[in-house]
Amino acid sequence: MPTALESIDWESCLLEHHSDRALESYARKKMGLPSPTIGYFAPVPWLARAQVDLQPTYGLLMRLDPDVVDLVALVVSQENACRFCFAAVRALLWAQGMSRARIRELEHDLTRADLPTRTVAAMAFGRSQSRSGPSEARAANDALSRAGFGADERRELVFAVASMDFLNRVHTIPAIPVRPVERIPDQLHIRLMRPLIARIMRSHRRVGRAAPMDRAPSHPYTRLLGAYDGSPIAPALGRTLDDMWASPHLTRRCKLLMLAVIGRGLSCEACATEVGAALRAEGLDGDALGRILTRLDGPELDPVERIVVSFARETIWYEPATLQRRARGLRERLSPQQLLEAIGVAALGNGLCRMGGMVLDAA
Amino acid sequence: MTATAALVAALALLAVLAAVNYRQRKQNQSLRGQLEAAAAELQHLQTACSRLAPAGVVQRLVSDRSVTGEAAVAERKVVTALFADLAGYTAMSERLEPAALAQVLNGYFQRMSDAIHDNRGHVSTFLGDGILAYFGALQPNPWQCDDAVNAALAMQKSMREYNVELAREGLPALAVGIGIHRGPGLAGLVGSRQRMEYAFVGRTVNLAARVQTLTRVHRQDILVTEALRAEIDARFELAPMPPEIVKGIDEPVVTYAVRARAETPGAAR
Repeated sequence: MPTALESIDWESCLLEHHSDRALESYARKKMGLPSPTIGYFAPVPWLARAQVDLQPTYGLLMRLDPDVVDLVALVVSQENACRFCFAAVRALLWAQGMSRARIRELEHDLTRADLPTRTVAAMAFGRSQSRSGPSEARAANDALSRAGFGADERRELVFAVASMDFLNRVHTIPAIPVRPVERIPDQLHIRLMRPLIARIMRSHRRVGRAAPMDRAPSHPYTRLLGAYDGSPIAPALGRTLDDMWASPHLTRRCKLLMLAVIGRGLSCEACATEVGAALRAEGLDGDALGRILTRLDGPELDPVERIVVSFARETIWYEPATLQRRARGLRERLSPQQLLEAIGVAALGNGLCRMGGMVLDAA
Repeated sequence: MTATAALVAALALLAVLAAVNYRQRKQNQSLRGQLEAAAAELQHLQTACSRLAPAGVVQRLVSDRSVTGEAAVAERKVVTALFADLAGYTAMSERLEPAALAQVLNGYFQRMSDAIHDNRGHVSTFLGDGILAYFGALQPNPWQCDDAVNAALAMQKSMREYNVELAREGLPALAVGIGIHRGPGLAGLVGSRQRMEYAFVGRTVNLAARVQTLTRVHRQDILVTEALRAEIDARFELAPMPPEIVKGIDEPVVTYAVRARAETPGAAR
């Protein structure tokens, strides 16, 4: 079943696959099925776990229809030209019983495939937030209100899109192999097991329940997490952020600088304010930060910071093969763990800043 | 006898039904094939269109079913325009056969486009032997001015390398003059019902084109305007040029020649 993105250039994979039983079991327990890619991210556990923990339809959404979220995921992956995620979402739709003809119809004309108005509005929003960033997605957000989405549903949708923006980058930047996932619906044994797979998926996908945060959110992104207070999204995102800060491969300042660059590129005021304050707490004064963000360089930066600051801006808007070649160029300048962590921080930053721009700046 | 006749009739009916079923399946298969071919053709067309206009614009046109484009895909933006023109082309065009000339030109366009693309620019159009490119037109880009000047330096370097290849084939050297300016304008699909293109319209583009003509006056490869100088990295080594009157602009235009980019972070102009 050829996909609409098969003509997209895709480099060979930058990462090595590591077998990690604990992580594999973690993914299987939460999603019911083995994750074929989690092993690529094993050297940086927070990034591997985040790909499971931030899956919206596994207990993070209280109001949005998961079928709508699947279609939004298809649109966002297409918009971000992520061949891997696009094929994965297609396989997921097929496994759940959607016919190949219907999938083809959706991917060739997503907005006109006899879908309900609400679904079309949600897909248009997903496309807009990913393609143009938060500053230009506000019109699509207004259209969501007109289509009957309440404030809580809109916030959930913003998260679902941001989560795909994160996952798309996590799989695109290191060029995770696409052929195995593109071939899933063509394999006889998978076709035979399709009803079983659908059943397992249905039993693991679940509606979220109101969940308080484990502890007060740490700075930055306090306001963003606060906006999701009461939703299971806040504790899940909070845990991912805490694990990301605690990971030792890049310094906290290095990660903050990457997030600041992405915030500047996406014009997210709320993120810029909080990340700027956190960088000041790290000893970087406002003038120096201003210079670094304007020039993506500066004498205050150490060699690793200089590399990842430039890399962070490449992840905002990109063509997959170009970005993959640039990431490959970093392999000789960063350790494998540093490269993987930089990919994770950049991917997460793109999701967070798109969320912040919609949920906080627009409020 | 009656039972045999009934059996024969039933078998005949089954045979007819099987034939109809077979024919129907064949027809379905053929229709599915046609549908897939049409979808593949559409995809191919969309890919081809994305070479003529930004992919986002193509996608929006397809999804909006818009024939004329019009206001839905036009917006006001601040963009950096780069205008490049070839020097030495006329002399070369008189010497070379059309096929060889086209090959030289294509080599030039490819190298210049790669340099622009590598620095996050978008080639809008080729005008004769000229190139018009934009930075920050397709997506917001707060680093568009530095990107444009880096692209110009990369184009200059690529041109030097191309000249080595041309010299090896006994062809004369080419030179490129580049003008860069930043300012507001209207970005989107413009044109007639018969022909549209993604363009950035306004004084900014005109001034970039005029500044490019000054590269011959000042004998410099790359010139930027005062508006651009104020925005770019202090590590770009600039030399001020005398103000010049250009067509269509009332005030004399102040320009700066770009020489190189220092590698030391924080080096001041």
